[in-house]
Amino acid sequence: MSYYLLLSALLFAIGLYGVLSRRTAILIFMSIELMLNAANLALVAFARGSGNLEGQAMALVVIALAAAEVAVGLGIIVAVFRARSSTSVDDLAELRG
Amino acid sequence: MLLLLIILLPLAGFVYLGLAGKHLREPLPGIIASALTGASFLLVVALSLGGGAAWEIKDWLPGIPFSLVLDPLSSYMGLVVTGIGFLIHVYAIGYMHGDEGFSRFFAYLNLFIAMMMTLVLAGSYPVMFIGWEGVGLASFLLIGFWYTEKKNADSARKAFIVNRIGDLGFLLGMALLYSLFGTLSIAELREALEASHVLPLSLGLAGFLLFVGAVGKSAQVPLMVWLPDAMAGPTPVSALIHAATMVTAGVYLIARSSFLYVNLQDVSYFIAVIGILTAAYGALSALGQWDIKKIVAYSTISQLGYMFMAVGVGAYWIALFHVMTHAFYKALLFLASGSVIHALGGEQDVRKMGGLKKYLPRTHLHGLAGALSLAGFPLLAGFWSKDAIITATLNYPFGGTGFYIAGLSVAFLTAIYAMRWYALVFLGEYKGDAHPHEAPPVMTIPNDILALGAVFAGFLALPKPFWNLIEPYLAPALAHVEVHHMSLGLEWGLITLSAVVALAGLYLGYLAFTRWALPKWYLTFQTWSENAFYVDLAYNAVIVTPLKELAYIWSLLDGALDTFYVYVAGVSGWLGERLTRVQTGYVRAYGALMVFGLVAMLVWGVLR
Repeated sequence: MSYYLLLSALLFAIGLYGVLSRRTAILIFMSIELMLNAANLALVAFARGSGNLEGQAMALVVIALAAAEVAVGLGIIVAVFRARSSTSVDDLAELRG
Repeated sequence: MLLLLIILLPLAGFVYLGLAGKHLREPLPGIIASALTGASFLLVVALSLGGGAAWEIKDWLPGIPFSLVLDPLSSYMGLVVTGIGFLIHVYAIGYMHGDEGFSRFFAYLNLFIAMMMTLVLAGSYPVMFIGWEGVGLASFLLIGFWYTEKKNADSARKAFIVNRIGDLGFLLGMALLYSLFGTLSIAELREALEASHVLPLSLGLAGFLLFVGAVGKSAQVPLMVWLPDAMAGPTPVSALIHAATMVTAGVYLIARSSFLYVNLQDVSYFIAVIGILTAAYGALSALGQWDIKKIVAYSTISQLGYMFMAVGVGAYWIALFHVMTHAFYKALLFLASGSVIHALGGEQDVRKMGGLKKYLPRTHLHGLAGALSLAGFPLLAGFWSKDAIITATLNYPFGGTGFYIAGLSVAFLTAIYAMRWYALVFLGEYKGDAHPHEAPPVMTIPNDILALGAVFAGFLALPKPFWNLIEPYLAPALAHVEVHHMSLGLEWGLITLSAVVALAGLYLGYLAFTRWALPKWYLTFQTWSENAFYVDLAYNAVIVTPLKELAYIWSLLDGALDTFYVYVAGVSGWLGERLTRVQTGYVRAYGALMVFGLVAMLVWGVLR
């Protein structure tokens, strides 16, 4: 059990690092997916540890949501790329106060 | 319903001329306004002949109906207001000829008539207060009619502010009456007062407060300072508002409330004292004026003082009799002054007049009739009414010999200054450099009618054993007063005495201002009188300047407070500017902040 959780934490940390350090929108996006799946892993592990199916159901919901999020997110990235021919998030700094 | 039309017709004129008057060609606004006022006059006549009328809205304010009443008192006053008002409207068509604000002027005049009739017809104090404030507004607008000159606008504000002091008294008096009797309808108050045997102690205070209102509106001592300045308005305004009608509203208020004052001996005595003080002050100040209109203005103050003395001693009908005769001869004096000013192209200084008898024969006759009536020349209107007042101080309940002597002395002064006005304007040699021309018929004909009134109106109420039409007519609307009987011989003896006094005053005035070189002490008096005994100066020093200083101090405090808040706002602005630095616009920075926040919350949650 604790191995699963350790793996999950490791994956989450890697994802977080990716989100904070990458500039390309696509890579940030992939890192977010990694974090989502780390969370899924933790959910499934807990479900198995406590012996009921609720955690697994939750993981399925997260997968479904992630699919929707991918669709929207990729759409946004494509739109941004068309407008600016770049996917670097640092170019999208118009909201600076 | 017809009763309401008396007010609505001039009000409609005000609205129409105010909105559309600019597009009308010159005499038309004047004709419309005069016609509407004339129609109001005819309505008052018709309704009075029909025996009066009443009209009300039941639930105007909670517990207070909006009521209009045409009883003998209000029809009498209404006839004076609309009748004299109509003549002055017609006169103004000629006087205001070629003025830029021709239609605006008539709109204001109609507003004044509407408001004055509201005041007169009011069946309860709140309704009267509407008219009271309305005429104040109209007066303000008309004093400041030529508002481009600062002096005129200042005079208008002065009139408004001084009136405000009186209005406060009126309001407080109403509030007190309401708390005592639970009603403000004049008829109900009268019933309540006549039914109750024990009068509430604070009734005297209520009467006094109402009188304060009258003091402000009728320019009595100590609130008389606004009236001479009100002469800044066009002359028809001075004639209509500041001589014939509005300033007598205070007398009307007291007469309307006569059932109240007849029970209040102390307050009545006080009113009479204020009245005679005002009469003396006005007469003394009128003697030294050099402005043709200001002489007449101070004489108005003086005559109003007589009226207040009359209501003070309990002679309510005599006060109203004097209101009527005064309306005739004072309107005539003002309009004659207006004709003179008109003829001399705006000159108002009597030192640059003189000898106008030759150039303005018609106006000379008007001026002569007005001045003699004012002076109390025997058998003219002013003689009968003023003599009635002076005699009333002896046989009416709240009077006294002191009032009689003071009243007679002031009558002597009145004759002198009336003669001075006439002599300086019409007698001697012309000293100005304009080319005087007689006024057009539209101005002289109203004056002819007023002159007839100034000469003959007194015959409506003669002393015994002759007829007296006014007293029995007004009697049902006024409180009943016990009058000491006076023997015919004594009464006619007193009348002869006052006639002699008036004639002596006129003769002395004639000699002093045409023949004699004036003595030195008189010249000193002249300076004091010219400045109206420096009352304005004293008020400025005691009240106006300290208030202005206080206002200045408050403005400094206000400024300090403002500065404080400006700094608070500045600090917030500065902080906000710093905080915007956090909004870098970089997604990764936001992400990092989110993570830090999350970690901080987790740590806090675990450690707690």
